[in-house]
Formats: sequence, C-alpha cells, structure tokens
Amino acid sequence: MNKYFSTKMSLFVFAAPALLLFTVFCVYPLLPEIWMSLHDHDGFRNLGFVGLDNYREVLSMPSFWTAHRNTYLIVGISLLLGLPLSMMLSLFMDVQTPRLRRFFKTAAMFPAILSVTVVAQIWLAFYEPNWGLFNSILHSIGLSDWTHSWLTEKKTVMPSIGLSFLWQYIGLNAILFYTGIKTIPKDYYEAALLDGASFAQVCLKITIPLLQNVIKYVLILSTLGSMAFYSHVRVMTAGGPGDTSRTVIYQMYYMAFDTSQFGKGTAIAVIFILQCLFISFVIQRFVARGKLEF
Amino acid sequence: MKNKSKARAAVLMASALLLLSACSGGNEKGNSQPSDSSPSVAAGSAEAPKDSAQESAGTDGKKIKMRVITITTDENRNNIMEKFIKPKIAEALPNLEVEFEPGGGGEDMANKLKTLNASEDMPDVFWNDAGYFTPLKSTGSIMDLTPYISKDGFLNKYSVPDALKHVDGGIYSLSSGADTYFTPVIFYHKDMFEQAGVQVPATFDEFVQISKSLKSKGMVPAVTPGKDGWGPKLFLLQQMIQIGDPQAMADLVSNKTNFDNPSVQEGAARIETLVKEGVFPDGIANLDYGPAMEMFTSKKAAMLMMFTWELPNLAKDETVDFFPFPSAGDKYDPTKSVQFWGSPLNGYAVSGKTKHPDEAVQLAEFLAMADALYFETTGAPISLQTGNPSSEKSPLMQKFVDWYNPIPQKIASMALNSLDARASAEISTQGANLLTGEYAAADFNKALSKIWSENTWFNN
Repeated sequence: MNKYFSTKMSLFVFAAPALLLFTVFCVYPLLPEIWMSLHDHDGFRNLGFVGLDNYREVLSMPSFWTAHRNTYLIVGISLLLGLPLSMMLSLFMDVQTPRLRRFFKTAAMFPAILSVTVVAQIWLAFYEPNWGLFNSILHSIGLSDWTHSWLTEKKTVMPSIGLSFLWQYIGLNAILFYTGIKTIPKDYYEAALLDGASFAQVCLKITIPLLQNVIKYVLILSTLGSMAFYSHVRVMTAGGPGDTSRTVIYQMYYMAFDTSQFGKGTAIAVIFILQCLFISFVIQRFVARGKLEF
Repeated sequence: MKNKSKARAAVLMASALLLLSACSGGNEKGNSQPSDSSPSVAAGSAEAPKDSAQESAGTDGKKIKMRVITITTDENRNNIMEKFIKPKIAEALPNLEVEFEPGGGGEDMANKLKTLNASEDMPDVFWNDAGYFTPLKSTGSIMDLTPYISKDGFLNKYSVPDALKHVDGGIYSLSSGADTYFTPVIFYHKDMFEQAGVQVPATFDEFVQISKSLKSKGMVPAVTPGKDGWGPKLFLLQQMIQIGDPQAMADLVSNKTNFDNPSVQEGAARIETLVKEGVFPDGIANLDYGPAMEMFTSKKAAMLMMFTWELPNLAKDETVDFFPFPSAGDKYDPTKSVQFWGSPLNGYAVSGKTKHPDEAVQLAEFLAMADALYFETTGAPISLQTGNPSSEKSPLMQKFVDWYNPIPQKIASMALNSLDARASAEISTQGANLLTGEYAAADFNKALSKIWSENTWFNN
C-alpha cells in the first residue's frame, strides 16, 4: 500500500484535480486574452487582426507609464514600509502577555477582514479636505500650511491611497509572520539568552533567518497583491483626478470597459501577466533558496 | 519516471484546453445563429411581433420570469421604484415574475451592461443610454420597439411620438419624456445669499465676485459633482462654452466646429477661472454626487450646479431658488438659449435576445408609465400622457416651466448626443484634471482637440 502511494503515478493522480482546475481557470482564460490583444476588439465585435499594434499604442501612452509608476510605488510602499512594520509588529506581539497578544492579534486582523469599500470610505472621510480628520488635526495644532487636498493633488494622491492599503494589510502580514515565529523551537531562544544575546541579536540571528520561508510567502503575496491594486483606487478616486491615480489594473479596466478598446485593454493585461511572472520567478529564484534545518 | 509524470501533466492540461476550446467554439456558433423559433425581433428589424411568442408565454400557468436592470443612483429613481413600480407591478402584470437588479448609474451602469452583453446574459429589460447604444445595436442586443408599441397603441400616448425616434428611424427606448425638461441650472439658498449680502448674478464676472463674497463669509460658494469628471462632462463644459457663444456650442454638438474654435476653447478657460478663484471647495475633483448634494442641502455650500431632475426634491426647502448660468458675453441670453438633457435613446429598452418579447415590451411600457406617473406628481412636465388631470406645480417648478418652455434655442447635450465611448471617457478624465486647478485650460483644449478628431460618433 505504502509502495503504491509513493509512486510518481499516485502523486500525479492526487495532483490531477488541482492541475485540471488550474488549467481551466488560470491557463485557459489566457488564450482568448492573448488572441484578443492581437485584434481591434470593442468588447462585442472583432474589428480585425492588427498584429502588435495594440502593444505599440499601449506602450506609447503616457497614462500607461503613469499607471506603472503608481503601481510600483504601491509595491514599494508595501514592501519597503509594510513588511518591516509587519515584522516589527509580529515581534512585538511575540513578547506580549497572552492576554495582550490576543488583543493585538484581533486588532491586527480587524482591518483585513473589512470590505475594501468600508476601508476606503473610512479613509475618504479622513482625507476630506474641508472637514476631514487629517486636515482638522493639522489646523488644530497650528500646521495649516501642511493641509492638503489629499486625494486631488498629484503629489499626495498615491501615497494617501497607499497608506489606506498599508493600514488594511499590515496586520495580516504581521499575523503570518507571528505564526511563523511560533514554529521556531524555543530551545534556540533559550540557548541565545544563556549566551547573553540581546533582543535585536535574537531577531537578526535566529528569528528572521528561520522565517525565510514565511518571508518568501509574504513577499510573493504582498508583491502580487500590490501589483493587482485596484479596489481602493476605484472607490477612493476612480483613478483620478484625470489619470493621476490609475494603477496598471485600473488602466486595463479603463481601456477595456470605459473606452471600449478591449484589444488595448487585453494587451495591457498580457504585459501585466508577463511582469507578474517575471517577478514571481525572481522571488522564487533568488529569495530563500537555502534549505532550512531546525 | 519524472519525465513520464511531466508528460502526463502536459497531456492532462492539453486535454482540458482542447475540451474548453471545443465548448467555447460551440457556443459562439450557437449564439450567432439564433433558432428559427426565436420570437425576438432584433435591432433594426421592423418585423411584426410573432403570435407564437404570445401563445407560448405563460400557457402552462407558470409566471414568466423577467430580469430588469435600471438606474438606482438618485432619489427620483428610488422613489419611482418604491412608490410606483414595486406596489403596482404585480397587479399590472400578473403573468410576470420580475427580478430587479440595481444598475447603479453612469459608467458603472454602462460597464455592467457591456459586460452582460459580452457574456450574452442581457436582462430582458434595461435602461438604455446613448453612451452604450451603438455596441448593443451592433450585436442585436436591443430591440426596435416600433412594431410592438404601434400595435398595442402605446405610441399614441406620447404627445410627440417623433421625439422617440433615433436617427435611423427606429424606437429603441421608452421614457416618460421628462428628460427633455432637464437642464442644468444654479440652485442657491436665498437665506445664505442674504446673509452674505449678495444678489443673483447676471454675468459670469458677477458670479465670480459673489462667490468671493460668500467665501469671505466662511461659506463654500458652489458645489457640483466632480469625481470622474461628472460635472464637466455632463454640463459644466457645455455651459461654460454656451454662456459665451451658444451658437458655437450648438455647432460643436452637431460637429460643425471643434476644439480649435476660440469660442469653444474659452469654455475650459472659464472652468479654470472658477477653480482658481475658489468658487468650488477644495477637493472638488474627487467630490461624488451624494456628498455634493449633501453639501448643498446641509447649507455648507450656498450654490449647487445641477440638473433640474433634482428640482422636485430641492423645492421642498423653501430657501432654495435657482437661476440660469449667467452670461459671459453679448451673444448669450439665458431666455434665448438653453441646454436640454436627454436623447431618444435614453429610456427603458428591451433585449433583442429576450425569449418573451411581447411581455418584455409590456414591462418596458409599464416602467415608462411608472416614471411618468412619478414625475407627474412632482409637477415636472412629461410627454407620456398618463390620463390624469395635470397636478398643481410647486412655485419653483412653475418658475422653471415659465422660464424654460418659451426658450427658442434648445441645445442638445454634448455628453449624450456627440461622443463615442472613448471620447466620453476621455472627456471625463480631462474634465477631472481641469477641476484640480493644476491643469491649464490650454492643455485641456489641446487634449480635447485630439479626442474630438478621433471621435467616431458622427461616423455612424
């Protein structure tokens, strides 16, 4: 029996349903998308084969590059600011008493379980320029010069939306890190403490190196999640003002649905998929390659 | 062994792909060739409704299921649904079981219908709009109602039946006819004007001046929905052009001129002036419809630039009055030229692919009549005759009718009658840019000039 289940055939049989579903729902939809990106298509009618014209036009649009700049800004905020903060939060949770830990875990998870629309509405109220929370606080402490129309000024709109995104998911990542921390054997920490290691040394020499698989998972999740950033933008600014806060996904939606240029919209989608594949490959290839041994 | 596993996985994936391709191919063929027994009358067809459809409908005693998607974004629509559709539909159409889906409004509504059309899941009856009519027609997803409403006499209930006809001669939508009476005006709070010591302005310059006075008293001078360029696209740009040169605006709507015309270009410059002079509140470019209305009704803002479809609701507040957009030159007289909303394409339409066209048309007629009955209660003028004696109008509605009806030059709305989907979306984008105050009118006009040259609306 054991021999039977250890064969490659049995592994294939067990993997087959997942592979089938992956093919049906992930691989197959790409084919008509690629086909459509090579045609002039208004969403209803195929108006003819245009080769790579859609790609050429899309790549020459300033709004396409604005969307990329915004998307990678969100990715940057998420990775460079969000992940370290999540890690710090998880380390902070780990040293709390069980009661406080429960509180922090609940508080950290709370924004993540809220609907994006709810979160966006809360932050819209914060950012409201005339009587919103942020400007009111700035006025009340005498910093009126620092007030902004946060969601309509070019320099503030993306960081403002990015902050709402960060707030929503920072806790979720912290919980993932914390779960990883709990799998590290206590013996390591006890030995380090006996050797007189400081908290910072324990974190840098034990916790973070042994969390590499979790870090890799969170990195992939955060990177691809940030690249697919859409809902907050949709609710908070509708990509505006103008195209100022459009992300790549929003630009794809705009081209396909708002302007009925599905050929160009799917061309953006194909370019986006290639970017995601490349980034996933880079993370898989270069992050946490060493085998972990406890 | 490893290679064999990989080969098996590849074979499985390829089989799944082949199976899916085969399935999708079959569907496409089936949908492009409707069966002979289909009772539907597609777009452009003047074929009379088939009796077989009538016979087959509901003969087994079961109710016929119908799906309706309509606008659900404003107070009028909610009132129509709650007071005139839901309580009466079961009695009026006992053979139907109707499922209403909220459609939202604007681009959301357009995108929803485009998606449903692309997935061949169109509702039986839906709110049609000029913005998405062309692709629906090209795919046979909207029915020419002429033979149906001629046969059952519904067409005769319209005081001006020709106003329902599209340029191709077909009738695709049924409405109350109230749209024609919707025009943008500036609502204001009389008490706030008194408090600030300002009078109703007669000119654009006076308008800017009183706005400064209102602002100096701590009031927001004026609001309008700016998010996604709503205001600029639907009326503000048109008004700002029109108050300088109404003929230039009329020519633009009929494609006799373009954004290289200096009179047209001045429209964007006037919007830029309004923004830079502080007429609008901070963040106007991201102000949604609801919050804009709330700012006015809660008296945070003294003025509201809005269509008169909000007049019945706003007239409940006795401090509210309105005035036409003030003149920016000798060529414009608000008693001689006005923008009107609406298009023969706006109204309840029937899917060209519905299985029950007769019943769907009856349902569309019922919904159009519900609209008419509602607008009648508000005192708004309508062209679909309900058979009821005309109700007494509120003083504000009477003032509006007395001003609006005699105006000789009624200019159609550019947003509904001149723009293809791409131009419409791009004007929204550019309009929102203009409201930020960080975008020059010259840049706006340059962008619009290109958009206008690529606009395919007039090619159809």
